[in-house]
Amino acid sequence: MSSPVLSIRDLTVKVPIDGETRTLIDAVSFDLAKGEILGLVGESGSGKSMICRALVKLLPSPAIAITGGSVLLEGKDLATLGEDAMREVRGAKIGMIFQNPTSHLDPVMRIGDQIAEGIRYHQGFGHEQARAAAVEILGQVGFPDPERQYDNYPHEFSGGMRQRAMIAVALSCNPKILIADEPTTALDVTIQAQILRLLMDLRDRRGLSIILITHDLGIVAQTCDSIVVLRNGQLLEHGPKRRVLAEPRHAYTVSLLKSHPSMPDEGGAVEVEQIAQQTRLQPLLEIDDLVVRFPTPRLGLFSGRKKQIAAVNGVSLRVMPGETIGIVGESGSGKSTLARAILGLTPLSSGHITFGGSDLAQQPRQTLAKLRTEAAMVFQDPYNALNPRLTIGDMLAEVLKVQGNTPPDGIPERIGELLDLVELDRAFMTRRPRSMSGGQCQRAGIARALAVNPKLIIADECVAALDVTIQAQIIDLFRDLKTRMNLTLLFIAHDLAIVRNLCDRVVVMYRGEIVEEGRCDAVFANPRHAYTAALISAIPDIDPDKPLPKGDLPPRNEPKGAPVLRGQPLISMQ
Amino acid sequence: MHRYRFVLFRPLQFLPVLFGISIITFILVRLIPGDPARVLLGARSTPTAIARIRAQYGLDEPLWLQYFYFLENLGKGEMGKSILYKIDVLKLIATRIEPTLTLVLTSVLLSILIAVPMSALAARNNGRLADHAVRIVSTLGIGFPPFWLALMLIILFSVRLGVFPVSGYGETIGDKLAHLVLPSLTIALSLSAVLTRSLRAAMIVVLKSDLATAARARGMPESLVFWRHVLPNSLVPTVNLLAVNIGWLIGGTVVVETVFAIPGMGQLLVRAIFSRDYMVVQGVAMVFACATVLVNFLADIVTVSLDPRVRL
Amino acid sequence: MTPTVAATRMNVPWSRFLGRHMTLAIGAGILGLFLAVALAAPLVAPYDPIYQDAVVRLAMPSLAHPFGTDNFGRDILSRVIWGTRIDLQIAVIGVVFPFLIGTFIGTVAGFFGGIVDTVFMRLVDIILAFPFLVLMLSIIAILGPGLSSFYIAMALVGWVSYARLIRAQMLVLKSSDYAVAAVSLGFSRARIMFRHLLPNAVAGSIVFSMSDAVLVLLNGAAISYLGLGVQPPVAEWGVMVAEGQSFITTAWWITLFPGLSIVVLAFGFSLLGDGLGEWLGVNE
Repeated sequence: MSSPVLSIRDLTVKVPIDGETRTLIDAVSFDLAKGEILGLVGESGSGKSMICRALVKLLPSPAIAITGGSVLLEGKDLATLGEDAMREVRGAKIGMIFQNPTSHLDPVMRIGDQIAEGIRYHQGFGHEQARAAAVEILGQVGFPDPERQYDNYPHEFSGGMRQRAMIAVALSCNPKILIADEPTTALDVTIQAQILRLLMDLRDRRGLSIILITHDLGIVAQTCDSIVVLRNGQLLEHGPKRRVLAEPRHAYTVSLLKSHPSMPDEGGAVEVEQIAQQTRLQPLLEIDDLVVRFPTPRLGLFSGRKKQIAAVNGVSLRVMPGETIGIVGESGSGKSTLARAILGLTPLSSGHITFGGSDLAQQPRQTLAKLRTEAAMVFQDPYNALNPRLTIGDMLAEVLKVQGNTPPDGIPERIGELLDLVELDRAFMTRRPRSMSGGQCQRAGIARALAVNPKLIIADECVAALDVTIQAQIIDLFRDLKTRMNLTLLFIAHDLAIVRNLCDRVVVMYRGEIVEEGRCDAVFANPRHAYTAALISAIPDIDPDKPLPKGDLPPRNEPKGAPVLRGQPLISMQ
Repeated sequence: MHRYRFVLFRPLQFLPVLFGISIITFILVRLIPGDPARVLLGARSTPTAIARIRAQYGLDEPLWLQYFYFLENLGKGEMGKSILYKIDVLKLIATRIEPTLTLVLTSVLLSILIAVPMSALAARNNGRLADHAVRIVSTLGIGFPPFWLALMLIILFSVRLGVFPVSGYGETIGDKLAHLVLPSLTIALSLSAVLTRSLRAAMIVVLKSDLATAARARGMPESLVFWRHVLPNSLVPTVNLLAVNIGWLIGGTVVVETVFAIPGMGQLLVRAIFSRDYMVVQGVAMVFACATVLVNFLADIVTVSLDPRVRL
Repeated sequence: MTPTVAATRMNVPWSRFLGRHMTLAIGAGILGLFLAVALAAPLVAPYDPIYQDAVVRLAMPSLAHPFGTDNFGRDILSRVIWGTRIDLQIAVIGVVFPFLIGTFIGTVAGFFGGIVDTVFMRLVDIILAFPFLVLMLSIIAILGPGLSSFYIAMALVGWVSYARLIRAQMLVLKSSDYAVAAVSLGFSRARIMFRHLLPNAVAGSIVFSMSDAVLVLLNGAAISYLGLGVQPPVAEWGVMVAEGQSFITTAWWITLFPGLSIVVLAFGFSLLGDGLGEWLGVNE
C-alpha cells in the first residue's frame, strides 16, 4: 500500500490513580493507509476506544494524558499539537462517529443545523450555502427527503437513521479519516448491515480511511482490510484481515476467534433426537394463541379511548421437558413480553398458558404457585438484576428461605453448592454486585435461578451485555447445566449465532408474532420466511468469503412515530 | 403545531386541582375552633349579629350545602367581606396584586441575571477556584433567611450608603422601582443560589456528556460548544426547578413585603392573620394557589418550546 | 471504576474517608458543633438568656458580652446559644414527621399504583399548588400562634415532597429486573416492598431531607420572626431578629448574630446533604 495517512508510533496514555500511575495504552504502533478500513478489536477495557480518543485528544478526563509516542498526520505530530491546532484537525481531518447516536446528537438542535454547524465553522460558509451542503450530505448518507428532514430533530428518527445522521455530521467537513467507535452495537442486526454497507460505500466514493472499533469479529471479517487486536492497552497482533483470521499468531486472538458464536458447533443435533424419543409425554409448557396488549401512553384528556397495542399477538408454542428453545427477534418483537407472560408477570389479554398441566388463566393461584417454585428467570443486565444492597450469600439465602425446601441449617451448604454449580468461588458469598464483574454477576443471577430447583429457566438476552469470551463461558455453563440438571431452557436472544450454538429448536418473532419455527439446523439452512432469511443473512460472518448481502435488505418499515414498545412494562403485583 | 395542542386541553386537567384548592380554602375557615360567626364578628358579637352572620353565610345549613354556596358566590366573584377593610375580599386583593406581581417579576429576572453567568463561570472552570467559590457562595446563599438578609441590606444600602429607600412603595413607576430594588435583591440572592446550584450541576453533566464530546470531535471551539449546545440542554431542568420554586418565591414575598412594608398580597395576608380577618386569609391563599397553577402551566409551555422531545 | 467506588464504602481508614468526602466531613462537623452547643447550653452560655441587666442595655460587643446586649440588657451570645436548642429542634422535628409520613404514603402509592396512587397524588398536586409558607401561615392562623401549631402544619403539608420522591423511585425500582426476579421467585409483596425496594429508594429522600431541613429551619424562623411561632421572651433566632429590627440603625449586633447562626446551621445541613449525595451516589 501507499504511504500511510496516519502513523501511530509508541502511543502511550497514562492516568494517575491514588498516587500510582496506570498505563491505559502501552506503546501502541500501527499505520493507516489511504482507503484502508482498519478494525480495532478488543473486549471492554482493552483500550480500543481510548486510542481513538487519544488520536483527537478528547480524553475522557483531564487527568488522563498522552505521555509518549507520536501520531503523525500529514507531517504533523498530533501528540504535541496545541488545542487550537487540534480544532483544525477534529472534524476537518478526522471525523468521529460513536456507538450511541442518541446521546451524541444534540436533542434540542435540528439534525441539519448540527451538520451545517461544522461546515460554517470550518469552511466559513454562509447560512444558505451551509444549508445546501448539509442537505447534500444528508442525501449521500441515505436520507430519502433531505430537504425536509434537515429540519427534523434527532428523536424523530429511528436508531438506524440517527446513526446515518451521526455519519453525516462526521462527514460534513470532508475529513480524510473516519473513526467509528462501535457504530452498530446499539442497532438491530438488519440495520447494522445497512450501516456497514454505507461505511464501505463512503470509503469507496470518497477515498476515506476508516478506523472501525468493534468487539464483533464478524464485522471485522466483513468490512475491514486489516486487524489490530488489543488487550489491556497492549497491541497483541496486527496484520491483514485474512492472515489474522486464518492464522492467528497470538493465543488471545485464537481464543477470541474460538469464542465467536458463528463458529459451527457439533453434537447439538444428536441430543434433540434423544429428547424427542424420551418424551412422548406431556409438554412442560404449552402456549395457545396468546395475546398480550398494553395501553399506549395517553396523549391528552380527549384522545378518546385508550389505544392498546399488542406486544404479543396470537403466539402458540409447545415446549417439551428437557428441550432448549431459542426465541429470536429484534427489539420490539415481543420476545421479552412473551417471557414475562409465561412467568405470570404480566397480565394476559387472551389465550392460554399451561405450565405442567395447569392453566394460568383458569387456575391462576395454583399455576402461579407452581411457576414460582418450578420456573425461574435470568436477566439481561446482570447489575440491574441483583439487589445492589444484598451480598450474594444473603440474596441466595433469602430465596432458599422463601422457597422453604431447604432446612435452615442446610442453607449455607446449599449456597456453597449453588456457587459451585455456576463455577463461582465460594468467597463471593460476601461480595456485593457493585464489586463484581458483569460475568460474575450473571453467574450469581443464574445461581439464584437454580436456587428454586427449577424445571424451566427463561433466559432473557442474558449474554447480550457481556464480552464475547465471557459470553462463550456463560453459554458453556448453560449447556453444561441443562444436561446435568435436565433443565428446560427458553433462551431469548437477538443474536442468532448464539441460539444456533445452544438450542435444539428456534422460534423467530417479528412484531409480536411467530413468523417461523423449527429445528435449528433446518431453519438456519433453509429459512422459509423472508424476515428470517434477512435476519440470517445480515449476521456478519467471520468468514470473509461469505459477504454481507449487497444492495438493500428486505424493507423493514419503520414508520415515524410508530409506537414501538421500549423497555419493559411495569410488572403487575398479583 | 400539534405539540402545543396541550395549551388548549391542559387547563381542563387543572379542574380537579382547582376543585381541590377550593375545598381546602373552604375547609380552612370551617376549621376555626368555636363558632365561626362569633370569631368573625370578634368583639362586636351580639346575639342578633351572630344570627345575621349565620344566616348570611348559611352556617345553619349542612356542610356540603355551605360548600355549594361558597362555590356559587365564588362564581359571582364574591368571597365575603373583609372585617378590617369592609370591602369584598377579591376586590381588596385586586388592589394588592400589582406590587406583588412586580416584585416577583423583578426578583425572577434578577435571579436569572445572577444565576446564568455564575453557573457558566463555575461549570466552565469545574474543579478550579472560581467553581469552588461559586459552590460555597451558592450553598451559603440558600441558607440566608430572607427577613434577616433584608435587614442586612437595609443596614448596608439605606443606612450606611443611603442609596435606596428603607421601606414603602412609591407612586410613579421610577419611584416604585427604586423601592423594589432592595426587596427584589433580597429574594433574588436566595433564589439565584437555588438556581445556580441546579444550573451548575446540569451544565457540568452536559459538558461531560456525549453530545458535547461529539461537538468537540467535529472541531467546534469550547465557547461555541458551551453556548450552542450545553446551555440549551441545561435549561430545561432549571425551568422546572423555577416553577417548583414559585411557591417558595411567593413565601419569600410574604416575608419581604412585611419587612419592607410593601402594600402587596403578602403583607395583606400577614396583617389579616393578626387581625383574625379569616375571609382575607382564605382569599389570599386561594389566589396564590391559582397563581401557582398558572405559573406551572407557563413553565410547561416554556419546557415544550425549549425541548422538542417533550410532549404533554 | 466500580471497584474504586466499592472500596471507598468500606474498609477505608477514617482519615482517608474524610479526606475524600470533605463536604460530608465539614457538614457533619458543623452540625455536630451545633448539637454539642445545644446540649451543653447551660454550661457554655455565659449568662441567663432572659436575665435583663438594665445597666448594660444596647452594649456594643465587648469582652464581657462578645455579641453585645439587646435593649433589655440581655446577653446576645447566651441567647444565641440557647436559641440553638429551639432552632435545631425546629429543623429536626419539622423534617422527621413529614419524612416518615411521606415515605410511607409514597411507598404504598408507588408500589400498588391504581386508585390508591391516583387519590394520593391528586392530594399531593393540590397541596403543592399552595405556596408552602402561605398554607403554613393559614393553618397557623387557625390553630393559633406557637411552635406546636408549626409542627402540626409541617406534618400536614411537608410530607408531599417525600411522597413524590419515594413514589417516583418506587416506580423505577418496581420495574427493575431484581424486582421482577423477586416476584418470579415467589417473594411476598411486603418483602419486596420493604426489604428490596424501599432501602434502595430511600437514599434520595435522605439526601433531600437535608435541604428540606434548611427550608424548614428558614420557615420556622420566618414564622417566629412574623410573630406566629415561638413567642418572646424565649430565645429563638427568628424572634431575636424581629426584636433587633427596631434598633438596626443603632445596634446592628442584635440582628446580625442570630441571623448568622441560621446561615451557618443551614450551611451545615446543605453540606451534609451534598456530601451524603456524593457518598451514596444520589443526584438530586
